[in-house]
Amino acid sequence: MSDEKKQPAALVLGAGIAGIQTALDIANAGFQVYLVERLPSVGGHMAQLDKTFPTLDCSACILTPKMVDVASHPNIELMTYSELLGVTEQAGMFRAKVLKKARYVDISKCTGCGDCAKVCPVVVPNEFDVEMADRHAIYVPFPQAVPNKYTIDKRGWPPCKDACPAHIDVQGYVALIGQRKFAEALALIRQTIPFPGVIGRVCNHPCETACNRGQYDQPIAICALKRFVADWEKETEPLPPVEVHRDQAVAIIGAGPAGLTAAHDLALYGYRVVVFEALPVAGGMLAAGIPAYRLPRSVLEAEIARIQALGVEIKLNTPIGREGNPSLEDLRRDFDAILITVGAHQELQLRIEGEELEGVVPGVLFLRACNLKSHGPAIGLDLTARKVAVVGGGNVAIDAARSALRLGAELVTIVYRRSRTEMPASPWEVEDAEEEGVRFQFLANPIRILGRDGQVVGLECIRMELGEPDASGRRRPIPIPGSEFVLEVDVVIPAIGQTPDLGFMGEGKLAVTRWGTLAVDADTLATNLPGVFAGGDAVSGPATAIQAIAAGKQAAESIHRFLQGEELARPPKGLPVVPYEEVDLRRARKQARAEMPKLSPDIRAADFDEVELGFTEAQAVAEAQRCLNCAFCSECRQCVIACQAHAIVHDMQDETVELEVGAIVVATGFDLFDATLEPEFGYGRYPNVITGLQFERLSSASGPTAGKIQLNGQVPKDIVFIHCVGSRHKQVDVEYCSRVCCMYTAKQAHLAHDKVPDARVTVFYMDVRAFGKGFEEFYDRVREEGIIYRRGNPSEIYKRGDKLIVRAEDTLLGQTVEVPADLVVLATGVRPRDDADRLAEMLGLERSEDGFFAELHPELRPVDTRRRGVFLAGTCQSPKDIPDAVAQAKAAAAGAIVTLSQLRRQMDEMEDGGEA
Amino acid sequence: MKVNAREFAREYTLLECIQCGRCTGGCPVSMKTALNIRGLIYQLLIEDTFSPASLDELWDCTNCLTCTIRCPKDIRPADVIIGLRGFIVGEGKGVPPRIRDALMSAFTRGNTLGFATEDRDSWTEGLPFEVKNILDEGQADLLYYVGCTPAYDPRVQPVTRALATVFYEAGIDFGTLGVDEVCCGNEIRRIGEAEGFASMVEEFREVCKEFQAGRMVTVSPHCFNAFKNEYGELPFPVQHYTQFLTELIDTGKLTFRREVRKKVTYHDPCFLGKHNQVYDEPRYILQRLPGLEFEDLDRSRERSVCCEGGGGRMWAEGTNVEVRLAHQRVRDAVDLGAEVLAVACPFCLLTLEDAVKILGLDDKIQVMDIMELVIQAL
Repeated sequence: MSDEKKQPAALVLGAGIAGIQTALDIANAGFQVYLVERLPSVGGHMAQLDKTFPTLDCSACILTPKMVDVASHPNIELMTYSELLGVTEQAGMFRAKVLKKARYVDISKCTGCGDCAKVCPVVVPNEFDVEMADRHAIYVPFPQAVPNKYTIDKRGWPPCKDACPAHIDVQGYVALIGQRKFAEALALIRQTIPFPGVIGRVCNHPCETACNRGQYDQPIAICALKRFVADWEKETEPLPPVEVHRDQAVAIIGAGPAGLTAAHDLALYGYRVVVFEALPVAGGMLAAGIPAYRLPRSVLEAEIARIQALGVEIKLNTPIGREGNPSLEDLRRDFDAILITVGAHQELQLRIEGEELEGVVPGVLFLRACNLKSHGPAIGLDLTARKVAVVGGGNVAIDAARSALRLGAELVTIVYRRSRTEMPASPWEVEDAEEEGVRFQFLANPIRILGRDGQVVGLECIRMELGEPDASGRRRPIPIPGSEFVLEVDVVIPAIGQTPDLGFMGEGKLAVTRWGTLAVDADTLATNLPGVFAGGDAVSGPATAIQAIAAGKQAAESIHRFLQGEELARPPKGLPVVPYEEVDLRRARKQARAEMPKLSPDIRAADFDEVELGFTEAQAVAEAQRCLNCAFCSECRQCVIACQAHAIVHDMQDETVELEVGAIVVATGFDLFDATLEPEFGYGRYPNVITGLQFERLSSASGPTAGKIQLNGQVPKDIVFIHCVGSRHKQVDVEYCSRVCCMYTAKQAHLAHDKVPDARVTVFYMDVRAFGKGFEEFYDRVREEGIIYRRGNPSEIYKRGDKLIVRAEDTLLGQTVEVPADLVVLATGVRPRDDADRLAEMLGLERSEDGFFAELHPELRPVDTRRRGVFLAGTCQSPKDIPDAVAQAKAAAAGAIVTLSQLRRQMDEMEDGGEA
Repeated sequence: MKVNAREFAREYTLLECIQCGRCTGGCPVSMKTALNIRGLIYQLLIEDTFSPASLDELWDCTNCLTCTIRCPKDIRPADVIIGLRGFIVGEGKGVPPRIRDALMSAFTRGNTLGFATEDRDSWTEGLPFEVKNILDEGQADLLYYVGCTPAYDPRVQPVTRALATVFYEAGIDFGTLGVDEVCCGNEIRRIGEAEGFASMVEEFREVCKEFQAGRMVTVSPHCFNAFKNEYGELPFPVQHYTQFLTELIDTGKLTFRREVRKKVTYHDPCFLGKHNQVYDEPRYILQRLPGLEFEDLDRSRERSVCCEGGGGRMWAEGTNVEVRLAHQRVRDAVDLGAEVLAVACPFCLLTLEDAVKILGLDDKIQVMDIMELVIQAL
């Protein structure tokens, strides 16, 4: 046979013992085999067993050589973590589409050393141990896995990361905090944003709104956890300056959160960055807008210092295009790219009578005066005994009101034209303000500022009611005629919204929207002028700090692409979000969210000290451990750091391959009956009621107890086995006998007796079906060992004191008995795979009444199917034990080999005919 | 009288029985009396004829339905008992006297308890509002079917009044059949009086033609079961009050203002739970009462244990009066630390309360109907 000749290949679906045997036989006959396995390792259920029946061989010992064989056989291409997507057929050949799921580990590099799993903070129940032990999000299912390569179990993006405008790896740093890896958590946050301490305080945290735990009990206190790690870092060690390794330079106008974030990212790309700031301080609204009781100046200054330490130059007091400073055109000449992040610092006017009076101070100006203690407006900073009205319902209004209180105001009233629920301000800020004594006039709108001698003496308002929803979706306020009233105040602070001050542009050619913001391409943040980008509040209008930071990141990426001459549009990012319905709640327990400690309202309203005090370490760790690990892998990237082989690829993509094959063998195995469907046995309720497969893991030397029969360290004294759970049972839709349970129970009863010789072992049975070679002899043997067989299928299990009570009728005695037990093993039956429908449709297979795949003839065509070239092997056809599964696998291989041989002959003939 | 066992076995699909013993194994009275339903089925399978008359233990069955929900072959062993009782009742000999009395009273006075027909609406006394008679007005949104024990038993009447009060407070247009209401026959059927029950069904269906109702709500799960499952199609849907209250809570028509600061557990009535799978609604209501701390018993829902009040056992003690399931039930609730053992069935209320008294646990635990807790929270 010449090697050049094209050989038809076979596709084997499922790499349990049947699939392995079929693949080896076909491969040994000289044909190519694609062996496709859904899970990360081959081995199937047999790999989970302790001993085989009836020889009591070590299951792993006789299976692993075959597992290794399929991996190393020259004719077998092993495709683990892969699934069949579809099959088409043409002229006797099949074209199979196979999905190779991203395992996020390059298996050509992975050495299986396990360094990654040691550092992975996410712990989930291990399916291989039937949830009796844990594994990490990065894992090999069991030590003898083939291939011995790690897989990252990543279910998508957690909603927290998705909701965060900057897409911080929230689940990642929360998981790390839960493990007390505070430095790693902080480093992870800083991989995305340079302001963990700031954002840990002032963020409106959309991540918490999206948090799936909110649907379970209460969301994780994500924002406060971020603050905790930022505060935990006692001394900020600035990063060493980044060497400027690209000769291009970027000018940034405005040192707010957007500009500084962009500066940070661009510096890390290796550009020279100069930031021009009009105010005498850097930080934008973080410095000039947000009061110190919410964000202490030292926190902001330290984080800005870290950005400067990267080599970023910040020129303060340098308003572009004014006061003799360079113009935008100058900057365009001197720099390779410009980013405009000037924010929105111009207060909108109320447009009512009296706005020119002494005592009217725009909110932004008022806050700037408080925060910078300079740029003083017309009022002093002493409001002692003065009465203040703040107009507006946003965070600026709240900040102004609370600051006014701290400056000694006698009475501060917020006037807002809608009701409390429509306020754009964060509800927790509103609550804090209320606690401190700020008063509210909801559904009221100012119509006139009253003055005497040029001084404010009052604010005339009108009552409003809510009408139909407007464009913003909020109900439109409508004045109620004749409801005017006057608030006696001597200071009025309008805080109804801000707009960018674009005076710097001069007669600029920059395009502007009709709302007075800069017009940009939403994807790239490019303005109409080449090389000029814009982001933050200057583009969006007043928004949150995290949105500004996200814009800064986006701008930096765009500018980098622009400077590198790349396409500006970025490839789409992200994975599908894990919805609450898909969250693994098996280990979840209700637990209330940690409360943020705060200064009491009477103390805190006196000065600008920080109100929120931050979590203690114990609080933070406990709170972080509440995380439900929605996406399993948290993308904390500890594995990336730990892997010396550089095998981790977090942005790996699923891949689809097409295979041309002449025969398909289906060996997809079985599912175990879900014992919770017979609730009378208390499975899932009593930890010491387990299934037969769980007993195998307990008994296995490589299992969670290293082969000891014990639960929570307790050795059972009374062990009860129950036959026929989920078999011969119409009410749970399983009418057939599962065929393997009688004998695996006999084997397990023997193992239980062998490992706990003084235990009383009772088997409850209906019939004992010992029909195979050596089976009856084994059944005799276990009874001779002293295992008690009682006829009668138990009806229920309940607790009495520390013991379980198995209630049954001993039908031979005709008496109802209560048998105490410390461990109950349910001999759960065998079911068709839950996705058998899908596969049957894909391959055109029929199913018999029991749901298993139908063979062509029950007696004479046991491995053929209705579809020529498609064969069945193992338990996907019907429940069977290992000897029968292997025998059928060999028969299926023979069937496939016949088909492939015929195809080869046809190919040869065609080739010969072509030559002739 | 001899039963033709061959015919009986075929009629009750007993040939499918694999003698697994789950029916008897789960039967709550099988450990205290001679009743062994699996054994009875076995005899019906192997004999040609069968004589039930001397089997006193047939009257031990409470019709809790555990045997039936455990049977892997979908046989209905509880119906086998009813079938065998039918032969005894038909014969007239061997029926326990108090059961015979209840049957007589049901047919002559319309109630199983021997009370006067004209006193059937005596429970309404003391209500601060009028209860409308649906027969007088010809229609109501809700037909309130009261039932014999809720109408007459002084211990249960407050429950009956509480439910009427909730209807009233929630603004529901409801009415009763007044003194014309007769027994639902649920227990009559379970005693084996099939023909008598059939005529009760006929009569009630005739009465239904005289009024219109949007739905029927019952106090007792026993009445609920009969009307829902054994009356054929009625012109209105039938609900147990726990189902209707759940709807009222969900639609905001029933809200609670006062706290019920108690630790409460709940005993599933067989005719609500095992017979009709109403497990969630009673728990839903309890968990919505402000201040109430709820915890389930270990044996709850489909694993619950009968109080021994059903299937005619309200009137007949059975063959072993020494051991009572209600005693264990009360002890389990006390062990759980519950201050209230809540029920949603008049029979459970009476049997469990008796058990509390006999055990002398009055200072530890109270048996209350869910309605009695609800009314406290209004």
